[in-house]
Amino acid sequence: MKFKNILVLMIVFVLALSACAPKPAEVSDDLPAACQEDAFGCAVIPAGETIKIGMGAPMLGDYSMFGIDISQAVALALEHDDGFEGWTYELIAEDTGGAPEGGAAVANKMVTDPTVAAIAGHIFSGSTDAAMPIYEKAGLPMMSPSATNPDLTTKGSTVFNRLAFTDAAQGAAAADLLFNALGFTKIAVMHDGGTYGQGLADVVKAAFEEMGGEVVGYEAVTPGEADYVAPLSAVAAGEPEAVYFGGYAAEGIVMMNQWSQAGLDGVLFFGCDGTFGVEFTDKTGANGEGAIAASLVPPDSEEKAAFDAAYAAKFPTKAGELSAFTWSSYDTGGVLIAAIESVAFVEDGKLFIPRGALVEAVRNSDYVGLTGLIKCDAIGECNASGPAFYQVVDGEWVPLAAAEE
Amino acid sequence: MASGYPLPQQKSKLLLHKGWGSEVTSPSFHVYRSEIILMINKLKNQRLTLGLILRLLLGLAVVIYLGWRIYQTAFGEGTYGPDTWMRFLITGLVIGGMYALIAIGYTLVYGILFMINFAHGEVMMLGTFAGYFVLEAFAAIPAPTVANPDLNFLNAQPVIALVLTFLVGAGFSALMGYMLEKIAYRPLRGAPRLIPLISAIGASIFLQNAAQLLFGPQRRQYLNPDFLWRGTGWMILVGGKEVMLTYTGVFSFVLSILLMIGLFIMVKKTKLGKSMRAVAENKQAAALMGIDVDSVISKTFIISGILAGAAGVMWGLHNGLFNHFVGFLPGIKAFTAAVLGGIGNIPGAMMGGMLLGLLESIGPALLGIDFQLKDVIAFTILILVLIFRPSGLLGEALSEEKV
Repeated sequence: MKFKNILVLMIVFVLALSACAPKPAEVSDDLPAACQEDAFGCAVIPAGETIKIGMGAPMLGDYSMFGIDISQAVALALEHDDGFEGWTYELIAEDTGGAPEGGAAVANKMVTDPTVAAIAGHIFSGSTDAAMPIYEKAGLPMMSPSATNPDLTTKGSTVFNRLAFTDAAQGAAAADLLFNALGFTKIAVMHDGGTYGQGLADVVKAAFEEMGGEVVGYEAVTPGEADYVAPLSAVAAGEPEAVYFGGYAAEGIVMMNQWSQAGLDGVLFFGCDGTFGVEFTDKTGANGEGAIAASLVPPDSEEKAAFDAAYAAKFPTKAGELSAFTWSSYDTGGVLIAAIESVAFVEDGKLFIPRGALVEAVRNSDYVGLTGLIKCDAIGECNASGPAFYQVVDGEWVPLAAAEE
Repeated sequence: MASGYPLPQQKSKLLLHKGWGSEVTSPSFHVYRSEIILMINKLKNQRLTLGLILRLLLGLAVVIYLGWRIYQTAFGEGTYGPDTWMRFLITGLVIGGMYALIAIGYTLVYGILFMINFAHGEVMMLGTFAGYFVLEAFAAIPAPTVANPDLNFLNAQPVIALVLTFLVGAGFSALMGYMLEKIAYRPLRGAPRLIPLISAIGASIFLQNAAQLLFGPQRRQYLNPDFLWRGTGWMILVGGKEVMLTYTGVFSFVLSILLMIGLFIMVKKTKLGKSMRAVAENKQAAALMGIDVDSVISKTFIISGILAGAAGVMWGLHNGLFNHFVGFLPGIKAFTAAVLGGIGNIPGAMMGGMLLGLLESIGPALLGIDFQLKDVIAFTILILVLIFRPSGLLGEALSEEKV
């Protein structure tokens, strides 16, 4: 009896598996030569259908602001494009819940749709990690605006690319700015003990020392406290010219407000993208003047202003209100469209996109978007311009002059 | 005291609670001496086993290492100048004063009910909120003068505004303390001791979440009057360098000392204080002497609420940012301070608070370790104190009967 049950279960399981498994690329005689030669075949879009860009994002729940913001910005990019030979683009954003299981489920669904050409995403690193091998098998190129985990690009994936700069890239850029552009030789480094904050702080410390600078203080603070005068005083004793802080705005604000109490008057506060934001300027007021932070938010330009206006007109929130990834998401859409149009062709009233060629085209992107130059390196890091640095002037974050040279 | 017959004179002498400011406040030296003699005798009688030798050697090694470390940071390396040490000291004293005020609340309630009021940190948080809204309201009242048409009431009459803020903050906390006792603890008066403890934890979570629902999770910023603005202060010269003595810090420290002196006098000299000591000593006997025990317990909660509320307003004035979570950490730290000083003992709570504040700010620097580890130092000291003096630094051993 028991054995029979197990047998039935197994049969059901095998059937379910075979239903889920991605269909092998259909190779039939009537396909164009380019598709037959391509390792992964072609995405085939009949007339009247749209070219689909897939996305796996947290659309519901606690992290939905990221999914909503990023999908809106990508959708806007697809909408702004005139289309290719009469075919227009469409975004299919599916909910991953921000979790790896959700990421794999969405990926399995995407690879079964022949009209999905590329993936904008995924959004969170964990869900991206789970989806990568599935897209790898099907030959679907990915371009993530927001997955920052450094390990993702070191796994040898050919399909995965990202626009987000990694913490390592940000730390190196910050150290370079401190030593070369701002001309500091003695800095102190502080962090909040978290993976993100300490990771950044360690990169900055190592890079700054390698350039020939001196790190005269290194302190960790306990997150969530209201008084950091003691650790700040300890750092001040080394008489640094600037203090780098890896962590979030909550602690950065408290530090900034206790700056002069700790004897750090005239010492520069150098934060990261965790300390950037309106909350920092709101809650530090005059104390925050001159502080520097990094951000994904691109410097002001005509294109950015036009995009901000279009975003605000179409959606209930302003660009950048839900997440800081709005602009890089818009560029993600742009990069994918440019890559698709470089390889797609029309034959017999159908649009064909050779998948293997598209994977290569995305990796070879050379595109200028809102966030600057997008040019992928050999492992798929595509943010060639690095983070933008901002400084508080009269209570507002303005692009740092020294960083632009 | 409403229903009080005056206590007979000799009785009240008998009723003096040892920990609450009587002649035997701190254990005199010969108590320590007798303990040391006892320990030596114990050691003499003990056979010198390998384990004992190892433990002694390990202890010695730790002491030597710590001593060397302290010597090195303080004198050897010269990492920190006297100005930096001064900053550590100031920070420690200011935060220690606030810990002490909150710790007294724990100790008062423990002294009378033998329970830890874990919702005490939340009582402080409510005081912080009350003070915040009063200051905001004052800032919204215009009080224009010819010289300055934008002047508001907060800056026109800063002293009155601050006094009112403290009154409302402390008053609201006192009210909350009173209600807390009435709702969460009084119905459980006869229950086993663990039950009110659980009720206290529940009350703490309830108050925290209620504040989050009412006021939102975002962090707010205290609006100080201009003359007491955060991050401004006197510059004093220490070792040829300027060290800032913040106005808010000095204000908080002085006020907390004044409140502690006031409480001390109240407990020692007034009728209420006397009846509080009587209830702490023995509830039944106190009731037989005509003391309304319930009313004394209520008043104890009101007094601990007043101190917590004042500490909450000070916290806001000095540190600025706060949200519904502001009471949690100070609450835990103050509880630690109360245990360190000897729970149930008022001078012990004051000393424990100050000591904990200083340990937190000076300890990591002295040992030359990360400031993130300051709690490790504080709690290591706590454990060491509890190993050698289980009743805390100034605490007295509780008899079985009292517990």
